[in-house]
Amino acid sequence: MIVLGIEGTAWNLSASLVDDDDVLCEASSAYIPALGGIHPREAAQHVANNIAGVIRQVLSSTDPRLIEGIAFSQGPGLGPCLRIVGTAARALSLRLGVPLVGVNHCIAHIEVGRWKTDLVDPIVLYVSGANSQVLSYRHQRYRILGETLDIGIGNCLDKFARSAGLPHPGGPKVERLAQESRNYLPMPYVVKGMDFSFSGIVTAATEALKSTSLEEICYSFQETAFSMLVEVSERALSQMDKSELLLAGGVGANKRLREMLSIMCAQRGARFCAPKSEYLRDNGAMIAYTGLLMLRHGIQTPIASSGANPSFRPDEVEVLWIETH
Amino acid sequence: MDRDTLEVVKGAEAVVALRGHSVVKQRVPKGYRIVELDTKLRRERTRLEAKIQSDARRAGVPTPIIEAVDGFSITMERIEGSPVHSVMNEAVAEDVGAVLCALHSAGIVHGDPTTRNMILSAGRVYLIDFGLSSYDRSLEARGVDVHVFFQTLEATDDRFPTLKEAFLAGYARNCSDAALILEKVNEIKERGRYL
Repeated sequence: MIVLGIEGTAWNLSASLVDDDDVLCEASSAYIPALGGIHPREAAQHVANNIAGVIRQVLSSTDPRLIEGIAFSQGPGLGPCLRIVGTAARALSLRLGVPLVGVNHCIAHIEVGRWKTDLVDPIVLYVSGANSQVLSYRHQRYRILGETLDIGIGNCLDKFARSAGLPHPGGPKVERLAQESRNYLPMPYVVKGMDFSFSGIVTAATEALKSTSLEEICYSFQETAFSMLVEVSERALSQMDKSELLLAGGVGANKRLREMLSIMCAQRGARFCAPKSEYLRDNGAMIAYTGLLMLRHGIQTPIASSGANPSFRPDEVEVLWIETH
Repeated sequence: MDRDTLEVVKGAEAVVALRGHSVVKQRVPKGYRIVELDTKLRRERTRLEAKIQSDARRAGVPTPIIEAVDGFSITMERIEGSPVHSVMNEAVAEDVGAVLCALHSAGIVHGDPTTRNMILSAGRVYLIDFGLSSYDRSLEARGVDVHVFFQTLEATDDRFPTLKEAFLAGYARNCSDAALILEKVNEIKERGRYL
């Protein structure tokens, strides 16, 4: 089965064709803000201007008659972007006469991770700009065991980077600067059970700019925020009695975070895996592949219920494609 | 660890060992955290846990007596008895309700009141492991406590409906807002987060 998937929830517009075994092709167009962070209207304008191009690119690589389904990111994400992606997906589905399937963006991150690593039943740490969650599969759903009580880790890094005058996206710059210091400045460490909060770190880090070197703040920022994420991941492994950890989402590219997770897993005898960075960041392949799994299990999205769902939570999706263990 | 010590439980953040008539809970270093942060967290949490546990005891909640707090470890009284899940019946469920109400009335939530963290000893229900507890009087936090207890009960016991009623009767004996709590529990369950 070949499925075409379109991702467009925030910064990366991407279309891809996959079959059961692999990614056949992918075309992307990233929105890079000239100044500041992601502006929802401009991000949507970017999607509108480029969506025909990326779709045409992937369609040109195959005979469109071989495509058996159209998958699209239905949410969570920026409403104005999601609506354009949905419109394009509906048009394609009607034009090619193949089923439409709306995909939850978070679940797509998880499924592409399971596909591209060999983990079977992992605890998932999903960290991106807007989302930070710890999830675990049980009884046909990905359960959210813990999540941020305020902002996602990526937005947290970007927000601080912006107030420090660093260009968007801030995460990679903070990571580089953090390597230049070993002085730890205490910052708010907030973990409640398996939930956590980042807004206090942004305030503390921004405040510290007046008196502390940027390198020291970046180092302390990462050590504090990432320790929180690793701690809740470990608690999830322990409570659910699982022995695999999957890292998903764009912030998963951070080397220090990966190092900390692998140390934690090694100490408790768990396996730690993350897919390559092209499958960590937002990509069309993850939408196409999750759409393929859903279509294979008889799930389709009728036009009437294909509207954008900006606050779509992963635990709303009934997961029918995982064999019970 | 010496010869008289028997390691029993290894949790996510601590190792719990039996030593004679005492239990020693030791927060172990985490290699992934830098030493400054690791030391600070383990020391603060050990101190807070001991404080909450003795405050709970002072408020009349059966909990092990704290014998010593030393850096990263708490030595406490060992409670001999049966894990609550193995002796569960309506009377025990009612006692659990009364104990949780007493804890909540003292402004404390346990954070993880599963039946594994309760021991029936000499006819009394003891609460153990205050590692996730906090000072919190909010309806939400108390609701989560009750919900966590219901979950473990529902997953492990076929008599859940009657045990739940017994628990609520025990909780309502001294907590007049039991009905509000139950409403909150239903709302939390609806959210699906904790399903």
